[in-house]
Amino acid sequence: MKQAGIVIEMENGRVKETSLGMITLAGRTADSLTAMVMSGITDDITDHLSEYGVHTIVDLSLPDAPEIRRNPAVQATAVVHAARELKLDRILGLSSPEGKDLLPRVAALLDAPLIMDCVDADLKTGTATTSQYSGKMMAKIQLTGEILMFGVRPNAVLPESKPVPAKTIAMTMDAVVPENIILLSRDEADTEGRQSLAEADIIIAGGRGLKNKDNFSLIFDCAEKLNAAPAASRVAVDEGWVPYAFQVGQTGEKVSPQVYIACGISGSIQHFAGMKTAKMIIAVNKDENTAMMANCDYQVQGDLFAILPEIMRQL
Amino acid sequence: MTKKYDAIIIGAGVIGSPIAYELCKMGYKTLNVDKLPDAGEGSTAGSCAIVRAHYSTEDGVALAYEGFKYWLDWENYLDNVTDEKGLAKYMNTGSILIKSDGHDWRKVKKHYDAVGVKYEEWDLDTIKKHVPPIDLHKHWPVRRPEDPSFFDEPTEMLEGAIFCPEGGYVNDPALSAHNIMRAAEAKGGEFMFNAEVVDIRSENGRVKGITLKDGTQIDADIVVNVGGPHSFKINQMAEGVWEGCNIKTKSLRHEVMYCPSPEDYDYLNDGYHMSDGDIGCYVRPEVGNMFLIGSEDPECDPQEWVDPDQFYAGKGGPGRDNVLTDAQWKAQCYRLGKRIPSLKVPNQPKGVVDLYDCSDDWIPVYDKSDLPGFYMAIGTSGNQYKNAPVVGRMMAELIDACEKGLDHDKEPFHYEFKYTTRTLNVGFFSRKREINYDSSFSVNG
Amino acid sequence: MQIYVCVKHVPDSAANIHMIDNRNIDDSVPFLMNPYDEHAVTEAAALKKQIPDSEIIAVCLGKKDAESTLRSALAMGADRGVLVETDDMCDSMTTARVLHAAIIRDGGADIILTGKESIDSEGMQTQFRIGALFDFPVVTNAASLEITNGKARVGCELAGGRTRTYELTLPCVIGAGRGLNTPIYPTFPDVVKSRKKPIETVARSQLNVSDAPGSAKIISMTPLVQKRNPRKIIGTPAEQAAEIIRILRQEAKVLS
Repeated sequence: MKQAGIVIEMENGRVKETSLGMITLAGRTADSLTAMVMSGITDDITDHLSEYGVHTIVDLSLPDAPEIRRNPAVQATAVVHAARELKLDRILGLSSPEGKDLLPRVAALLDAPLIMDCVDADLKTGTATTSQYSGKMMAKIQLTGEILMFGVRPNAVLPESKPVPAKTIAMTMDAVVPENIILLSRDEADTEGRQSLAEADIIIAGGRGLKNKDNFSLIFDCAEKLNAAPAASRVAVDEGWVPYAFQVGQTGEKVSPQVYIACGISGSIQHFAGMKTAKMIIAVNKDENTAMMANCDYQVQGDLFAILPEIMRQL
Repeated sequence: MTKKYDAIIIGAGVIGSPIAYELCKMGYKTLNVDKLPDAGEGSTAGSCAIVRAHYSTEDGVALAYEGFKYWLDWENYLDNVTDEKGLAKYMNTGSILIKSDGHDWRKVKKHYDAVGVKYEEWDLDTIKKHVPPIDLHKHWPVRRPEDPSFFDEPTEMLEGAIFCPEGGYVNDPALSAHNIMRAAEAKGGEFMFNAEVVDIRSENGRVKGITLKDGTQIDADIVVNVGGPHSFKINQMAEGVWEGCNIKTKSLRHEVMYCPSPEDYDYLNDGYHMSDGDIGCYVRPEVGNMFLIGSEDPECDPQEWVDPDQFYAGKGGPGRDNVLTDAQWKAQCYRLGKRIPSLKVPNQPKGVVDLYDCSDDWIPVYDKSDLPGFYMAIGTSGNQYKNAPVVGRMMAELIDACEKGLDHDKEPFHYEFKYTTRTLNVGFFSRKREINYDSSFSVNG
Repeated sequence: MQIYVCVKHVPDSAANIHMIDNRNIDDSVPFLMNPYDEHAVTEAAALKKQIPDSEIIAVCLGKKDAESTLRSALAMGADRGVLVETDDMCDSMTTARVLHAAIIRDGGADIILTGKESIDSEGMQTQFRIGALFDFPVVTNAASLEITNGKARVGCELAGGRTRTYELTLPCVIGAGRGLNTPIYPTFPDVVKSRKKPIETVARSQLNVSDAPGSAKIISMTPLVQKRNPRKIIGTPAEQAAEIIRILRQEAKVLS
């Protein structure tokens, strides 16, 4: 019996789409699915999760004080506690920004193997598929151990409805407040309301073709209209047009959105390493003879300074 | 339906494009074919595009000095054509030739005097004044970092340098070829891309045309091989041509590095092009305040002769494929680090790997061939970028003269320079020549 | 202060990676220090400037060749290096155990710096496992670090420009991100000096590391080649924009 525990991420009180996709992935090979929720459970949440195939919903009962409840070290302890109490032998979470700070903590505490950024996982055989060598290779990895862990790449699997009856339980646990790691502030952002790169459905990225910092605001404006995440190639970051956090590529963020719109990006091997798993690539460039234009799904040869404002006008 | 051209030029790089341009101006109907998607995308794009006059032969110096004038007069040369990609720019930095055991600089100086190249002699203080971060110890002979004596403390000082105020580089070599293509098109020239030549057809002892990979046949009475690193393969496709060359060409792998300039030195704006035989490097500024570091092919460095098709496909393995190697990155950056001690060397190599179309004596072959109607501008050996426009004119005139009956092998064509007053015996670049031992046998030509 | 920096010897990110069988890559490509580890070494050098009498020890688990990555760390400011030599591919559970044992064998750590992930196996977890073995607190993707009175104040980057700030008690483990600093690369005189710095080589078997209770092993690997066949979107900018919007709505279904 493969008892899978799934760490659920929420956004504005709702279960994230990417978390639902992970439930769908787990449901293909697990015998039972347990969702672990950190922010308290409502009927909406219960309905939502059971609609996608979750059998048991656990309220991890984290302490109320936000600085404690949001501390990933505290969350990790709670997940570990639930995993042991409920005898879970598979644990999944998103390889999202938050997941990258949480899942490895859980794995380290459990001394259990973990594969991050899986695009596929078989919970029965304990195998996972993930990218290696800067996205140049796809590796199939065999995990062994009592508890196996999987960090699932957001959007790797689209959610499929599969209603089952679900029960809810609340964990009781003495909140261990760690003294050696204190969260002083969380998620301070100068980019309020912007989509996170790793989870966005649409990413619109700009490169050398934007020519300067002022022009780059076109990417940000267009992203807002499309509800997309703005991104940049290394050139744009190196030139100081945008902060590093927006960089997609080998040494930046690795993304696999539904659609990647590359504007004025020639497409170096390092840039492709960060986005070549995108489901669809639309390249906008004046120059038809670039690697990006040759390796995309839709080739838009033209002036991005004319096309992007048109997109915004028409939306 | 086959279209008929007067001349087919194989290659649309920085040499192939101006040959077409000049032939068009002389009334020929030309077609350039290139296997890549655009002009200048091949080894032209990997060129350092340095414009300097020092060569080891007087004719070499004279040709470079003539060529220099074209870059100064770029817009006029292009007949004021517009290119939607913009125009390449010649950046004059001045050119420092370090007096060292690595260069026969006395000979260069003699040629400068003979040709009339302007120059100054700099002592060490003068060099230091112009290049503040420089260290002028003598390091000869050039070694590799794998050799422990590479790290020995130097004790002697250099002698000085020869400085040419006229010298620099072209900021975007691929764009310069593209500019010339647009100029050629304005005169009626045609260009065909993504077109790989697989055969040179001949009939009754004369060239007839080419066959492309997709089977297309295109005919012309004149075919010119400007295939760059692929030149030897093209020559082998044409009947009797390869066999008729005493000087052969091969493709040589070559790495060029980009290393950031020390923060307190605005190399991009204040820096010079410098050839430094003492450390086996040449440098010029690159955007992003970088040092572009080329190698002068010192004897201790390995030479990789590769198959150009394998190379560009990323095959052949490390040191033979199109990726920089850590060993050569360290060799070139550390060598320059001896000259510029404040240079900080990143761990990850950054730069360009490309191929030289290298001739046996590192001097090009600008000539007819043993197959009438088949000509070649090959063997540029990493040192002909700067000469491209003048070579275009020279080749066009040579082709025209031969087509009008000149026996260039018996009575070599003499090319009259357009800017400087001098004629050049084009027989100097003959395929039939014996190896020219006056050559430096390096990128310096 | 004893500053340990864990560095990994990885294939150059620009290299053409080829397989020799269905599990292993051709490792004759150039190997370099993992780029994120450069930030860890640079931060260590900055800490040493701030807190004199500190010693920076670079530790690496890898093949004999990995010594060149330790040499890079020494040239960037580490004082000495420890190479734990092994020809095996180690997963993060084993790697953490070995590095933990090597650091204990060498001395006591006041702070351990690593890169936030390696660009070859992309595991993102070794720093957390080292922390758990020592029972030290851990943060990852650090973008700022300040040490005062035995406490480390660390700003960590999430995606999209969001940050979290933590206060850790020393000793602790910090996974360096790209935002932490600009790597300080060595000059040629630095390289010459670093040649005299010592590197100790220890065989992995000498460390008597116990087996981990689990493992992660590659069973097969395939190059990721995605052949795309571009279709052209032509017309005026307005027509092109309209077609892009249509594709986003009807084909990709990402726009309502």
